[in-house]
Amino acid sequence: MAYLLNVILGTIVPMCVTALVTMAITIIFKTSSTTNFAQGVISAFGAYVVASGLNKLNLSIWLALPIGIVVAVAMAVAIDVLIFRRGRYVNALGKQIITMGLISIIVGAIPLIFGMQAPQFRTFVEGKLSFLVDGQDVTVTVNALVCLAITAVVLTALFLLLQFSKWGLSVRATASNEYVAGMLGINTHVITAISWGLAGALGTLAATMNGGINQVGVYFMTNYQVNAFLAGILGGFATFYGPVIAAFLIPLANNLVVYLANVMGKPELSSWSLVIVYGLALVIIFFKPQGLFGKRTVKKV
Amino acid sequence: MDKYLYENYALFGSAPEQNKGLTARARGILANPLHHYLLFGVVMLVVCFLSANKVLPYSLQSGLAITFAYSLASVGFCLLMGYSGLASLGTGGFMGIGCYSIHFVMTEAGLPFGVALVVALAIAIVLGLIVGVVSLRIEGIYLVILTLGLSEILRNLYIAVQDSIYLSTFKLFGITVPRSASGYVVTVLLVIVMMLTHNLIVSPTGRAMLAMKNSTAAAQAMGISLMKYRLLAFVICTVYAVLSGMMLMITIRSAMATDASGFYALITSLNILAAVIIGGFRSIWGAVFGTFIMYGLQTMLLNRIPFLQENPVIITFVSGILVVLVVMFYPGGMAQLVQEVRGKLRKSRAARREAKYGKD
Repeated sequence: MAYLLNVILGTIVPMCVTALVTMAITIIFKTSSTTNFAQGVISAFGAYVVASGLNKLNLSIWLALPIGIVVAVAMAVAIDVLIFRRGRYVNALGKQIITMGLISIIVGAIPLIFGMQAPQFRTFVEGKLSFLVDGQDVTVTVNALVCLAITAVVLTALFLLLQFSKWGLSVRATASNEYVAGMLGINTHVITAISWGLAGALGTLAATMNGGINQVGVYFMTNYQVNAFLAGILGGFATFYGPVIAAFLIPLANNLVVYLANVMGKPELSSWSLVIVYGLALVIIFFKPQGLFGKRTVKKV
Repeated sequence: MDKYLYENYALFGSAPEQNKGLTARARGILANPLHHYLLFGVVMLVVCFLSANKVLPYSLQSGLAITFAYSLASVGFCLLMGYSGLASLGTGGFMGIGCYSIHFVMTEAGLPFGVALVVALAIAIVLGLIVGVVSLRIEGIYLVILTLGLSEILRNLYIAVQDSIYLSTFKLFGITVPRSASGYVVTVLLVIVMMLTHNLIVSPTGRAMLAMKNSTAAAQAMGISLMKYRLLAFVICTVYAVLSGMMLMITIRSAMATDASGFYALITSLNILAAVIIGGFRSIWGAVFGTFIMYGLQTMLLNRIPFLQENPVIITFVSGILVVLVVMFYPGGMAQLVQEVRGKLRKSRAARREAKYGKD
């Protein structure tokens, strides 16, 4: 029991990172109708800005994070205004390929701007909490709890805004049909720009959390991005909450497989955990193509 | 009888006349598009030979071998995307099958290349069939993500099985092929694959795939079986990707699954996609040219410029900008550019003829 608790508590930060990235990808998918493959590198760019704030300006992480967010938001909005708004007549595949081109651009730009060396990073707070369960130690870092709190606040606020604010209504209208939304007086340009900005901000937040537990690098968010895409189709892109719930499930399932492998006395199975989890996800998607929480759409000829 | 033959020759534009000049005869030979591929192969083999003997820069042959190895995957992807209208991000993962079958069959078990080829192709066909069946249920962006997931499964499988793989000696028909000679093998295979693909594209199969791309409903109404052609497209694409992985293994001789910029990482699938887009996604030549831009340009030419040698990231940066610009302003890619230039030349030639001889 204590071991299981330790496993679950150890998954908190990856779950938060995946959930935030998934939210960012979902919001762009809904408003710009493309899968943003550059989400990972945009987030990494934000993390590099945060790292320069930490290392070169000796700021605290609470000051460096907003700076990183502002830069990433500016970059994401610039991408929307300069590229996506002009490429309106590019088809869906073309848009995806543009985001792939963006990966190359940013991957090339990061070493040019920040240098080749991987930056040092810090967690939000230091320290651990320990308590006893069944006479065994259960440990959780304070940082993980802070990450969880931030993620909970941010995601709750976003969902509330999406559901109840005028902006949320405009986003949902744009997601359902951009042209009709524009006809009804919604400034869809502003809506997509805000979505991109939000995606940049969420990505930077996620990357900063991830930077506390993993080595920062150009591709260090790619795995989370892949998880986020899978979460997107596992939960179904039709809703906002589906992907986010799936985003919590994937890292959790991954660590549970590791836990089961260890409990059953076959620790060598644990390196197969991602294979098993992804395989399961694909099987579910095969039988429920619209996702766990999706709505069935009827294809028109 | 002779007259009949002559008429036939005249129809096909290559009469064996005595007074025909050399250029005219060459033009007659080049009228068959398949001969273009052969000519390309011969030229590239000569370049490989000269480069291996250091008449041309030595780095040229490794650059060519790598470009052509990746080109195999691009040509398959070109068929899949340009002709069947299906997109996949599984290329990287599929390429790994080729690499690993070479490692396990040749390095570990010591069996000949033929066995590795059969094993790899068998796995490729099975995987291609699986993805093809999935593509019947899930389409568009969802399919792209699904193949991305499949590719990640394969990559994690490789990491779990064995991270680092290698090939020490490569023997083909009992002859040891050194790394410096791998260019010949890759070039020959690429030419064969290009010719086969060309034939496939102009055959009824290719027409059926094109019909399917434009409208699945219309294609079905015309009696084209979606299942048959989708499965076929995915099987061919996967087989080419696996061949590409095998050739890369023969050229580079080692690979790491955990390497984030390695063969079977997401970045390979994206680069192959970008290569096909830059080249023009319905042209075999375009696919090879795009692959050259993505992979060959750097090793073969740009590394000679000291500034770029010190800052290789600039090439990544510029190639990204290139991809974005091509998609936004030139969706047909380089193939479209070539066609437009050719059309303009033809027009100007016609105009010149008109000015010289008057209107007919």
